[in-house]
Amino acid sequence: MNRTELAKRIKTGILGTDITEEDVRSHFAAAKAYPFAAYAVDLSYLRLAKELLRETDMLLTAAVSYPLGGMTLATKLDQVRFALSVEAEEINATLNLNAIKSGDYDAVSGELRAMVEVADGAIDVIVIPQFDILTSFEKLKTCERLLEAGVCAIKTDGHGGLCQPEDIRLLRRVFGATFSIEASGGIRTVAQASEMLDAGANFIHTSTALDLLREA
Amino acid sequence: MTDSSRLVDPTQIDHTELRTLATYNDIRRLCFEATRCGFGVVAIHPIHCTRAAAWLRGSGVGIAAVVGFSTGAFTIEGKAFEARDAIERGATEIDFVINVGALRGGRHQLVLDEMRTLREAAQGHTVKAIIETSVLIDEEKRLACELAVDAGLDYVETSTGFASGGATAEDVRLLHEVGGGAIEVKASGGIRDAQTALAMIEAGASRLGTSTGVQIAQPMASMSDDLDREETE
Repeated sequence: MNRTELAKRIKTGILGTDITEEDVRSHFAAAKAYPFAAYAVDLSYLRLAKELLRETDMLLTAAVSYPLGGMTLATKLDQVRFALSVEAEEINATLNLNAIKSGDYDAVSGELRAMVEVADGAIDVIVIPQFDILTSFEKLKTCERLLEAGVCAIKTDGHGGLCQPEDIRLLRRVFGATFSIEASGGIRTVAQASEMLDAGANFIHTSTALDLLREA
Repeated sequence: MTDSSRLVDPTQIDHTELRTLATYNDIRRLCFEATRCGFGVVAIHPIHCTRAAAWLRGSGVGIAAVVGFSTGAFTIEGKAFEARDAIERGATEIDFVINVGALRGGRHQLVLDEMRTLREAAQGHTVKAIIETSVLIDEEKRLACELAVDAGLDYVETSTGFASGGATAEDVRLLHEVGGGAIEVKASGGIRDAQTALAMIEAGASRLGTSTGVQIAQPMASMSDDLDREETE
């Protein structure tokens, strides 16, 4: 896979507490040299990123209830509506992780269905189950619920964590190609990226995409 | 010097549970402990406000909901919505993360506007501004504290506990000095024993955010608790 082909399978962006407007501008200025699939920012920089992305083919991704997932469904939906108003193309929404850890999958289904309904096909709903803290059973159960709710994609981790290729292989064995898998968490090298893609990931996420490509 | 035989006043403790792997049962236990120990509030994610309000009914323990947590990188309107929503669900205090990136980038008016908007959205409830000291230089900490005073907030709070570092006695002292009595200081992040807790209070903190409040405020109670657990296991 050459550099351009690899870039098309990478979603990048800049997210976090201490990011300044200048940080976003300079990170993006470097990133736009490659045809990355998407660019993710926190909601405070969503309008700015929309402007910056105008002359590229990258999709704009809005981080919702990111990264801990502790916001109520009402707040998540408020954030989805904001992302819609800015005309972002995707959301990365962290699920109610405490509900998953409590076995309350109906609460998870409730938020999945509500987000899909509000998105109404105008924005892709990509959810973050935070695989890093889930058991295999919790991973499969959560994916079952998102399929039922009509969610099209998952991003494996948002907050820390190290993506495991075995997780991706497991999901592919159980669910086939029914939804898109975006591998995320600690992917820093071309070797790691290739491992995830070979395991069946559709995309990989990394904020250090430029360093990764320099090596390709 | 801290005197380790002294105890922390339990009403100064914000009994905290914000982990991604927490269960409803952890929140129930948190509420139970807060009631038993007489803590001021439980500090939780908004998803738990309704549940916690039911478990705390009649206890006198309040609920501090975190807003814009943990990055603070949300819109002003979004944080105001979240704060109002949390209060409707039973929150009695709002601990919001300021737009740290805006502060660092020199967009101070935005930070002040956000603080004023949250002051308004909280409808008279206590508002704490979390400034995430570990990613700021002293000048930025000072500035954030001055803006919080300007906006009429109740507390300036050091940390979320999810960034590179937590509260330090030096930071608490700095904020206390800059605040000059016009704002209180909450120390949070990395406070895990009575000695650290007392050092924060000596430095000028009047509230402590910690998940180990039981051990800090009532070391004997926590020991008997451990014994109970050993017996049932």
